[in-house]
Amino acid sequence: MQPTFQLELTRRELFRTGGMGLGATALMSLLGRDAKAEEPTFLNPLRAKQSDYQARAKSVIYIHMIGAPSQLDLYVDKPKLREMTGELCPEELFNSQQFAFIRSRPKMYGSKFQFRQFGESGQTFSELLPQIASMADDIAVIESMHGEQINHSPAQLFMQTGFGRFGRPSMGSWVTYGLGSENDNLPSFVVMVTGSVGGAGNSMWGSGFLPSIYQGVEFRASGDPVLFLSNPAGIQSKDRRRIVSAINQLNREQLVDIGDPEIATRIGQYEMAYKMQSSVPDLMDTSGETEATHALYGTAPGKAGFANNCLLARRLVERGVRFVQLFDQGWDHHSNIEKSIRNKTKSVDKPIAALLKDLKQRGLLEDTLVICGSEFGRTPMVQGGLSNAGRDHHKDCFAIWMAGGGIQGGTRVGKSDELGFSITEDPVSVHDFHATVLHLLGMDHTALTYKYQGRQFRLTDVAGDPVSQVLA
Amino acid sequence: MKKNIICFILFWGLLNATQRTAAQQIDFEKEVWPILQSQCVSCHGEEAQEGQLRLDARVIAFQGGITGIGIVPKRPSESTLYLRLVSTNDGDRMPAEAEALPDSQIDVIRRWIEQGAYWPEGIGSDARHVRQHWAYVSPIRPELPEIQERQWPSNPIDYFVMAGLEKAGLQPSTAIEKRRLIRRLYLDLLGYPPTVSQVDTFVQDSSPEAYDRLVDSLISSPQYGVRWARPWLDLARYADSNGYQADQYRNVWPYRDWVIQALNSDMPFNQFTVEQIAGDLLEGASKSQKIATGFHRLTTLNVEGGTDPELSRLNQVIDRVNTTATVWLGSTVECSQCHNHKYDPFSQKEYYEFLAYFNNTPLEVNGASSSFKFYGPTIDVDRPITQRRQLSALAARKAELEAELTGVIEKADQNYSAWLETNSATTEDQAKWTVLKPSNPLSVNGATLTILEDQSILSTGENPDKDVYELDFAVDMNSQAVTGFRLEALTHEKLPGTGPGRYTSERPNFVLQEFTLHHGDSQLKLIDGIADFSQPNFDVNNAVDGDESTGWAIAGEFFKPHQAEFLLSEPFQVDQPTTLKAKLVMNYGGSRVIGRMRLSAMTGNREMTTNSRRVIALLQKDKRTKEEEQELHQLFLGQQPDYLTVQKAITDLETEMEALPAPTALVMQELDQPRETHILMRGEYKNHGELVSAGTPSVLHPLHANEDSNNRLDLAHWLVSVDNPLVARVTVNRWWAEFFGKGIVNTEEDFGSQGELPTHPQLLDWLAVELMERGWSMKHIHRLIVTSSTYQQDSKARPELLELDPTNSLLARMPRLRMSAEGIRDTMLQISGLLELQMGGEPIYPPQPTGIWRHVGRNAPKYKTSTETNRYRRGIYVIWRRSAPYPSFTNFDAPDRTACVVSRSRTNTPLQALTLLNDPMYWEMTKALGQQIHSVRLESLREQLRYAFVRTVSRNPSEREIDILEELYKETVVQLSKRPKDLEALAGGKDKGASPELGAWYYLANVLLNLDETITRN
Repeated sequence: MQPTFQLELTRRELFRTGGMGLGATALMSLLGRDAKAEEPTFLNPLRAKQSDYQARAKSVIYIHMIGAPSQLDLYVDKPKLREMTGELCPEELFNSQQFAFIRSRPKMYGSKFQFRQFGESGQTFSELLPQIASMADDIAVIESMHGEQINHSPAQLFMQTGFGRFGRPSMGSWVTYGLGSENDNLPSFVVMVTGSVGGAGNSMWGSGFLPSIYQGVEFRASGDPVLFLSNPAGIQSKDRRRIVSAINQLNREQLVDIGDPEIATRIGQYEMAYKMQSSVPDLMDTSGETEATHALYGTAPGKAGFANNCLLARRLVERGVRFVQLFDQGWDHHSNIEKSIRNKTKSVDKPIAALLKDLKQRGLLEDTLVICGSEFGRTPMVQGGLSNAGRDHHKDCFAIWMAGGGIQGGTRVGKSDELGFSITEDPVSVHDFHATVLHLLGMDHTALTYKYQGRQFRLTDVAGDPVSQVLA
Repeated sequence: MKKNIICFILFWGLLNATQRTAAQQIDFEKEVWPILQSQCVSCHGEEAQEGQLRLDARVIAFQGGITGIGIVPKRPSESTLYLRLVSTNDGDRMPAEAEALPDSQIDVIRRWIEQGAYWPEGIGSDARHVRQHWAYVSPIRPELPEIQERQWPSNPIDYFVMAGLEKAGLQPSTAIEKRRLIRRLYLDLLGYPPTVSQVDTFVQDSSPEAYDRLVDSLISSPQYGVRWARPWLDLARYADSNGYQADQYRNVWPYRDWVIQALNSDMPFNQFTVEQIAGDLLEGASKSQKIATGFHRLTTLNVEGGTDPELSRLNQVIDRVNTTATVWLGSTVECSQCHNHKYDPFSQKEYYEFLAYFNNTPLEVNGASSSFKFYGPTIDVDRPITQRRQLSALAARKAELEAELTGVIEKADQNYSAWLETNSATTEDQAKWTVLKPSNPLSVNGATLTILEDQSILSTGENPDKDVYELDFAVDMNSQAVTGFRLEALTHEKLPGTGPGRYTSERPNFVLQEFTLHHGDSQLKLIDGIADFSQPNFDVNNAVDGDESTGWAIAGEFFKPHQAEFLLSEPFQVDQPTTLKAKLVMNYGGSRVIGRMRLSAMTGNREMTTNSRRVIALLQKDKRTKEEEQELHQLFLGQQPDYLTVQKAITDLETEMEALPAPTALVMQELDQPRETHILMRGEYKNHGELVSAGTPSVLHPLHANEDSNNRLDLAHWLVSVDNPLVARVTVNRWWAEFFGKGIVNTEEDFGSQGELPTHPQLLDWLAVELMERGWSMKHIHRLIVTSSTYQQDSKARPELLELDPTNSLLARMPRLRMSAEGIRDTMLQISGLLELQMGGEPIYPPQPTGIWRHVGRNAPKYKTSTETNRYRRGIYVIWRRSAPYPSFTNFDAPDRTACVVSRSRTNTPLQALTLLNDPMYWEMTKALGQQIHSVRLESLREQLRYAFVRTVSRNPSEREIDILEELYKETVVQLSKRPKDLEALAGGKDKGASPELGAWYYLANVLLNLDETITRN
C-alpha cells in the first residue's frame, strides 16, 4: 500500500467520517490506540475491543418470539388458576390495570396443557416444549419479568432498545459498539426473520443515534441473503475480481494524490465486499452439515424457515459473529390459543433445543449466551369465550429464559401470585435483563455510554442491575 | 404535606441531638463558610455554576439557582439550600452523587438560617449574577480580526478563518483547480455534478466574474431547493408512513413540496419558521401556510389495536416539544420531562410550560374500542400536475368507452326480441332435484345431530370449537344418472340468531372447509360450484378443492338459508339403490359450523345459471313493471360478450381513477377549548402534578404576549425573535456543517453546557448577526460561504496539517465528504444521463428487491415500482416508509425518519460497496452510462476513456489512470468475445446483439461509478 497518514481523531469525528476499515488493516495498525479511551480512538470502530472485565460469553443468540407467547402455557404452572377456569376475574384484579383489548370483566383461564418437572433441577415446563425441557438443567428461566408497554410495537422497541419509542439503538448495536467485531468477512450483528417482521420494523435492529455501522444486517431467507450480494447477470466472480481490482487501483491513485484515509478505508471495504460474496453464500449453504445435524434441527439444505435460522445461528457464532438475533412471528394468540400455541411450539421446540444441544456438543455453549424471550407475556384471564379462548397482552409478569455463556442452568428466578398475574418475588425489569446480558459479555452497563445531545445515553437508560441469580 | 411532616421529624431529631449547642450563635465565617467551601463550591462556585447557583457569592446564594429561592432567613424549611441537604430523593439530595453531609454540618446550616442567616459582607464573591453560558448571550457582530495575509480573504468569513490559521502558524491551502471547483459547487448547491460541457464552459471562461456568475445561476436553480430540503426533512422527520405496526401510507408530500418551494424562493428563515410552527394561526392563513404546519404532523403514530389514544397524543406532543427545542434552540430539553435538567438551565416545570403550547391540538387517532386509524386535521390540496394529466387522460378514455358501449348496446338490441322469444320457449329448468334421505349422522366432536322431517339435519347441544360431520345418504334414482348435488345450509329457530351457522347470534357464520362424497372407496369428484352467496375470499369452490386451509363462508348474509350446487365431473349411475358417505369438515374454529343442512341430488343438465332462472321467472310474469323490464334487458346484455368486455373496461377505469388518492395535506389545528397542562411527575403520563400555563424557559429572552391569547403563534415569533441568542447561531451552524462536514460548534444538536465550544466563536456570531440583519436569507449566507476563499481551497491532505490540526478544525484545507444517500443516487443518475428533474407530487417507487416491504398490520401499502420517468427522479422523492426504508439509502446512512436527526453519520462499509456494484437500480444506471460512452464517437479508445472519466468525476484523468481503464477494457473485450452467453446475459433481453465492446463499457461504467471520488464531494 501507498504511504498513509497518521491521524488522530476524536470519537465524534470518527463517526462522522466513518471508517470500518476491516480490509485496510495496515493503515489501521498505524492508527491504533486504546478503544475504550474517550479520545483519541481508532479509525476502525468495529475492531474487537477489550471488555470491562472478564466476559462470560463471547456471542449472543437472541430469539425473540414476535407477538408474545403465553408464559402460562409454556413455563409457569398455576394449579389455582386452572381451578378457577371459568370464574369471573376478581374485580380488583380487573380494575388494577389497563388491558389492550379486554374491555369487560373477563373470566379466568387456566392452561389446558400438562406441566411436568424436568432434569435434575426439576424445572417446570409444559408438554408443549418437551425438547427444550430436556435441556432444563442448562436453562435459567426468569418468571418475573415486567415491562412498561402494552402494545406490540412500543413493547418490542422497549425490549430491544430499552425505550418505548423510536430513536434508540438496539441491544445488538450497543453490544457491537461496545465490543466490536471478531471476524473480518461477516457483519458482527446479524438478524434473521421468520414470517413477517414485528410491528416496530427494522428499528428493532436499528442503531438509533449510534453510527449506522452498528446496525444489524439482515440475512434474508429468499433472494440475496445479504442485499445486493450477487453480481448482475453475466458478471462472474472472476470478472467481479477484475472490476474490484480496477476500482481499487484507481482509488489508490487518489489516495496517493489526496491523502484522505477515507479512501484507504474504502479500498478495504471493496475487498471485504468481494470476500462477502463468497463467505455469505458459504455460510448460508448448509449442505456440508452432517445428516445427524440436519436430523437434530429438522432442517434440509436449501429449505428456509425457523429451524434453518437456528442452524445458521450456530454457523454464524462459530464464525465469530458477535450478535445473532432471530425473530419468529405468530405468537399473538388473542383467540384459539390452545390450537395456535400448540402449532407454534411444534415449529420451534425442536430447533431451539437442537441449537442448545448442538452448541453444547461443539463446546460453543459455554461462550454463547442463548436468550429466548418476547415483548411481553399474556393474561391469566381469557380474551373472548372459553370455547375459543385467547389471552390478552400482559406486561406486568412474564417469562424469558437464558442458557449458555455464564448462565447458571437449572435456575428459576422470581415468583408470581397463584394466578400468575402479579410478581411477588424478585421482579426483573427490562433494564435488569439488559444489564445482565451486558454483564455476561463483560461490560458494565453503566459504563457503556454514548454521548448524544449533551447526554450520556445507556442501553439501560437510568436503571437496571444484573440479575445475580442467573449468573453461574 | 407528607414532605413537611418528614422534614419536621427530621428537624426534631436533629434538634434533640444537638440540644447542647442549640442556643449558641453560629459564626458564619468560622462554621458555615468552611462547609460551603469544602462541600458546595466545586459545583456551585466561580468555575462551575451548575443549576445557575453560586454558593460562594452572597447575593446569588440567597437568590438561589434555577430551582428556587436559596436562603430564606429564619426559615430553613423554605430554603432550598437546607432542603436539598436533607432531601430523601436521590436525584435532589445534595451534594449530588456523593455522601450526604454529616448531621453536625447540616445542623450548623439549619441553625444558621434559623438565626437569621447572617452573611457578613466581604466574605466570598460580590458577584450578583451567575455567568451565562456563552450560547445564552445574544451574539453581537464582532469586528473583523487583524490579519497579515490581506490578499487572501474574499469576504469576511475568510478574515476569521485566516486569523485562526495565523494564530496556529498555518497557511491556507491553494485554490482548487477549476474542474474540481465546479464539481464541488454543483454537488453542494444542486446535489449532482455538472455535465462535461458545463465543466468545459466554466473552464474556458477566464473572466474574473465566472465563478460568481456560476454561483448565481446555481443558487437560483429550482434544483437548489431539492438539494437543500433534504437536511431540513431529516430534522422534520419527514416520511410517508405512520411508523410502528400498521405502518400505513400517509399523504404528506405537499409539505415536502412546500419546503422545496420555500427554499427556492429564499423565504426568510423567520417566516419559514412561523409558517411551520403556527401557519394555521396566522390571520387569514393561506392554504400554503397551513400546509407548512405539516412540519409537526410528521410525528410517528401507533395505530395498532389496543393502544391508548391519549397516550399516543401525548407522545406526539412530546416529540413536537423535543424536536422544536432541537431544531430552533439547539438544546436538549428531553431530560426535563422527568426531572430538572442536570446540566442546562431548564426546569421540569419549564418543560411543561413549553409543552402547553403544543397541547391544544386534537387527537390524531380515532376508532372504536381497540381498533384505530390515523386521523386528524387535513386540507385539500391541488392535485399535482402529473396526476391531473393522468386523470384527464383516464376521463377521456372513459368517455370513449362509454360512446363505444352505446354502440354495442344498439347493435345487440337488434337481437333482443329473438332472445326474448327463445327464452320464453324454455319453460322449465331441465335439471331435477331429489332430496336425499340421511342416516347415521355423526358429529366428531359431540354435537347432537337430529334428522328433521324435511330430511334436513339439525346440529344442537354441545357447540364444539371445530367439528366434522359424517353421515350417509340413501340414493335411489331409478337408474337415472346423478349429475350434481345441492348442499343447503338452512336456518332454524334453535340456531344462534336462527343460523345458518353456529358461531354467534350476531354472526352465525360457518366455514365449510371441505365437502366430500364417497361411494364405497371412491370419491365423487365435485366441480363447478355455484352458491347463492359466498363471502369474499371464501368462495364456494374452496369447499371442494381438497385444501382444508380454504373454505366456503357467508359473512354478510346471515339469518337466511344458503345453498351450493356442485356438478359431478362424471355422472354417477347405479342400478341398485345405494348409499353415499358424506363428510363436512369445519375445523376453522370458533364453532363456525353449519347448524342445519340438507342434501339433494340432481338429474338432468344444469344448463342454466341463477341468472337464467331469473330470466325465465321474469318472462313467465303476465305483467312486468318498468324496473323488471329494465332488469330483463340488463340480463340480456349480461349475456352479450361485447357488452361485457366494454363494460369491464369502464369499471376498471373507474377503479383506477378512484385509486388515485385525493390529495390532502396534514395540518395543525388549534382546539377551541385549550387543554389543561400539568407537570407529569417522573414523566409518567397519568401522574399529574402542578397545573401550568404556556411559557418559555426563563434563561432565554422573554416572550411578550397577551396572557389570554398566548399560543403557538406567539411561541413561533419568540423562536425567531432577534433577541433569541440561539436560533441564528444554531441555524447558520447547521448550514456550515453541510458545507464543511461539521459545524463551527461540532455538536450541532447541543449548544448547551455539555456541547462543544465553537472553533470560531466570532465567525459564528458574525454569521448569525449577518443572517438576522440581512433578512434571514439562507441564500445570502450560502452565497457568502461558497464565494469565500476558505471554501475554494484544495482538499488535499498536507503532512504538516496532520501534525498541527489533525481534525482540520482550523480549515487550512477543504474537507472531503462522502455524499448523502440521496446525493449519491442523484449523482449516478446525472452521470448516466438518466436524471429526470421533474419536481413535486406523490412519492416515487424506484426498483428495490422483493421482500423489503413486509406487510405488517392492517392496510399495509403496496410497493408499485415506478416506470418510465418516475424511476429516474431525484432521491428526495423516493417513498419513505419508516418500518422499511429504501435499502440503498439506509446502506448510506439515511435515517428511518422516526425521529428528528440533526446530522447523519457518514460510514464506510462493505454493504455500500455491494449496493453500488450490484443494486439493480445502480446497475441500470451503469448500463446506461456504458451505452452513452459506447455511442460517443471519438478518435481513439484513450479519448473515449478520457471522456468517460471526465463525465464521471469532472477532472481530467492522469495517464496512469487511463492505463488502468484501458487494460480492463481490452482484457474484457477479449474475455467477452469468448463468452457469448455472459455477453448476452450482460446485455439483457433487449439488445441481444450487444458487442463485446459494449459489454466492456458496462464494466468500465461499473468501475467509474464505484470510485471513491465519484461519491465524494472533494
